[in-house]
Amino acid sequence: MNILIYGATETGYMVASQLCQKHNITVIDDSDRLPDKFNNLDISFVAGSGADVLVLEAANVASAELFIACSPVDESNIVACWTAKKIKDVETICFVHRMELYRNLGAGTQNRYQTRYDIDTIIWPEQLLTQDIFRIVSVPDAIDVEYFVRGKAKMFEYRIKENSIIRGLRIMDCSFPDNVLIVGITRKHNLFIPNGSTTIETDDKVVFMGTGPALDLLAASFFRNVNQIRTAAVIGGGSVGYMLAQQLEEAEIRVKLIEHDRKRCVFLADNLKGSLILHGDGTDLELLEGESIGECDVTVCVTNNDEKNLLCSLLVKQLGCQRIITRVGNLRNSMLFERVGIDVVVSPRDSAMRELLNRLQAKDVNILALVEGGQGEVLRLNLPESFATVLVRDFVLPARAIIGLIKRGRNVIFPHGDTPLEAGDQLIVFTMAGDAEAIKKAFTR
Amino acid sequence: MKTATIGNALGLILVALGLIMLAPVAVALLAREFSAIPPFVVAAAVSAGVGTLLRWRGGFSSDFDNLRRGEGMLIVCLAWVVTGAIGAIPYLFFGLHPIDAYFESISGFTTTGATILKDFGPYPKAFFFWRSLSQWLGGMGIIVLFVAVLPQFAVAGRQMFFAEAPGPTEEKVTPRITQTAKALWTIYSLLTLLEVGLLCLAGMPLFDAVCNSLSTLAAGGFSPHPQSIMGYQSSTITWIVTLFMFLAGGNFALQYRVLFQRNYRAILYNEELRLYAFIVVTVALLLCLTLMRTGAVHLTEGLRDGFFQVASIITTTGFSSTDFALWAVPAQTILFTAMLVGGCAGSAGGGVKVVRVLFGLKYLKREIAQVVHPKAVLPIKIDRVTVPEEVQRQILGFLLFYIFLMTLSALVVTIIESDAAIGLVGTAATLGNIGPGYGSIGPMASFADLHPLTKLIFIGNMVVGRLELIPFIAMLHPDFWTFRRA
Repeated sequence: MNILIYGATETGYMVASQLCQKHNITVIDDSDRLPDKFNNLDISFVAGSGADVLVLEAANVASAELFIACSPVDESNIVACWTAKKIKDVETICFVHRMELYRNLGAGTQNRYQTRYDIDTIIWPEQLLTQDIFRIVSVPDAIDVEYFVRGKAKMFEYRIKENSIIRGLRIMDCSFPDNVLIVGITRKHNLFIPNGSTTIETDDKVVFMGTGPALDLLAASFFRNVNQIRTAAVIGGGSVGYMLAQQLEEAEIRVKLIEHDRKRCVFLADNLKGSLILHGDGTDLELLEGESIGECDVTVCVTNNDEKNLLCSLLVKQLGCQRIITRVGNLRNSMLFERVGIDVVVSPRDSAMRELLNRLQAKDVNILALVEGGQGEVLRLNLPESFATVLVRDFVLPARAIIGLIKRGRNVIFPHGDTPLEAGDQLIVFTMAGDAEAIKKAFTR
Repeated sequence: MKTATIGNALGLILVALGLIMLAPVAVALLAREFSAIPPFVVAAAVSAGVGTLLRWRGGFSSDFDNLRRGEGMLIVCLAWVVTGAIGAIPYLFFGLHPIDAYFESISGFTTTGATILKDFGPYPKAFFFWRSLSQWLGGMGIIVLFVAVLPQFAVAGRQMFFAEAPGPTEEKVTPRITQTAKALWTIYSLLTLLEVGLLCLAGMPLFDAVCNSLSTLAAGGFSPHPQSIMGYQSSTITWIVTLFMFLAGGNFALQYRVLFQRNYRAILYNEELRLYAFIVVTVALLLCLTLMRTGAVHLTEGLRDGFFQVASIITTTGFSSTDFALWAVPAQTILFTAMLVGGCAGSAGGGVKVVRVLFGLKYLKREIAQVVHPKAVLPIKIDRVTVPEEVQRQILGFLLFYIFLMTLSALVVTIIESDAAIGLVGTAATLGNIGPGYGSIGPMASFADLHPLTKLIFIGNMVVGRLELIPFIAMLHPDFWTFRRA
């Protein structure tokens, strides 16, 4: 596939590096030459503005199938997408960074008005990040949460702590509730798919998949059960902090929001209904102590500065907060963050990438979620009509993978060895990223 | 400040007022009271004459487009003081002392409803009609009326409109101020007509129905009957008047939105209205309970008088369905708290206004929260919108100034009259444009026997209270008084 990317930004780099091995990528950017790190990618480059029709023609937009606009200027992205669409009916994906533009272009409002904008997908990384954080916050103690099949199936990730009762047990010896599967374990930053004889160790991050009620049962019996999240502290009142506070308010969680800019504080106080807006620095220990941030059920650090987020998180952890979710801008930092003991590290780029990959995949394959920074993938596969019915246990896979659930018509089935696979089934499969292609082939041949 | 502009505007208003003062003449003709015609003709002539004189001095210019803020305020204040004086002229013909006549007239225009009349017998119908009409004119605001009617004020109207009704928020139901003024007067007139109709159906004579309706919608309180609404001895009439008093104390702009712009959600989300309704209902029930405990009244009677009296006091109308000066002290005290609240902003009622009380309560709540969270940013929101800093300051200033003025007036009057009840309650009743107080100035009594100095202080209270202090605060500054001719 020919893909055009407008904007040699961090996001642009991430997209290009993910896609350049299988697709032909052309990057357009206003600067004369690409930043150095693009040099190790096998891509071509056109200098000029993506909003310039001549530049787009030079980049051969007519032969492209996908146009991704991710320059730092929102308006340029929008105009670039429109222009590309005028030349050829190419699929467009537009990145924006401001709420009002997202509202304009978002699917909710688009259909209400006379003419539609010529943009197929709009991605606002911070909005996606907010969704992710909210999902994680809403499940006590989990460090990652994903919903599938409209919430009928869920994926929770837990960290095994010192006092966990399943620590040191083999998986086959744990009596998990029905409809719950362990699909992956991350040990020392390496994800692998376990089998029955794998032993669960301290500090493992274990990925469970199952139905909502079953997972709740699991949480109640195996993990420290914070009944309900009631209070949350949000440090940083940017777009993410603001939207998160809005969502938390709707979920009837009391929010304390710390923001250092006075003007922004006033804006937040004007626009949020019940949150307590505190004017101060998130690293001000006195403020954190005075407002008893340590006693909050969860603390979310979402300033736009990695160093500050790290410091805030550590301070809050020292004050006794049990759950800390921290935003990281630079993915390379995330490993360090986890090493110093921060439970959940989230990144807007990660969230955006997942959404983007979702759109990119062929129609019969979707990546529903990425686990452990892309090491593992949750795939959605549709079995073709020609698929011959076979039992799960008899089906030979070329690599390790776990069929998390089967959606047959309206039913959701959690499979075991005797469950048959039938043509037309939709499978949700957990596998390692490297094996994904082989697994897809095995199911769709 | 340009004296010419001010004179011109004032002249214009007086000429128009002269025309309006011919209305009682028509009533006199209909009632065949020919002796009552001359006083009003003379007053109308004086008004038009003085007005024309002022216009002539100002060069008959109709250009008010460059009206300044200060000029607007002065015009509004002068308009009230002078219309009060003109309105007093007819009373002089009926043998009232000049101070009494001015008191009665100002009490009318400011919709206070405090009267110096002791005996209602010897006066003609035109006399009572004029009392009620003056209240009706003052209820929506004389300036608002002239802004609506006189095209010369199309541009300058905004300054004067908000100088006369300096509510905490600038409220316009339409983009243009003349249309807003017209809209307000439309709804005001419609409600008045509706009440006249209902009162007639309930068996009140037409003349009384008209006069009482004019007074009700203005939240005034002058009734042609010496015993006020109690004199009609009808529960139906009492309830009808209660309802319209309640409407008169509500925001007319809001009522316009609901009736003409069909914005029903506006009612649900209006915090001021909710607090207003809440106060009326709770205080009425409290009153009813107190009355049933202390006096031998039945539930229906207690409810009727409770609701009527609370509506009458909180909207600053000052009608009475019973002589509340005879009530027990607990009931009187409950009623007195309602006196300190007043109607909604943008209503015909006077007083502190519910929205300011609402703000005051929220301000206190914020101060408490601020002690616990010193670094918190806590906005004060009314109707889900943050009250801007300067408006907050203005409201606080208003409340302080109101308390200051009330204390001062109460002390001085108490010294003059040697009666603390008259001092405190009389001040509250006149500054809040309510009307009757307790004791010797109660609803069935009159202000006639007070010392002339007290009457003058009360006249001052009434005007200052009606204009919501702000134009007067401006006048206290020496820089306000810089004049130039052209």
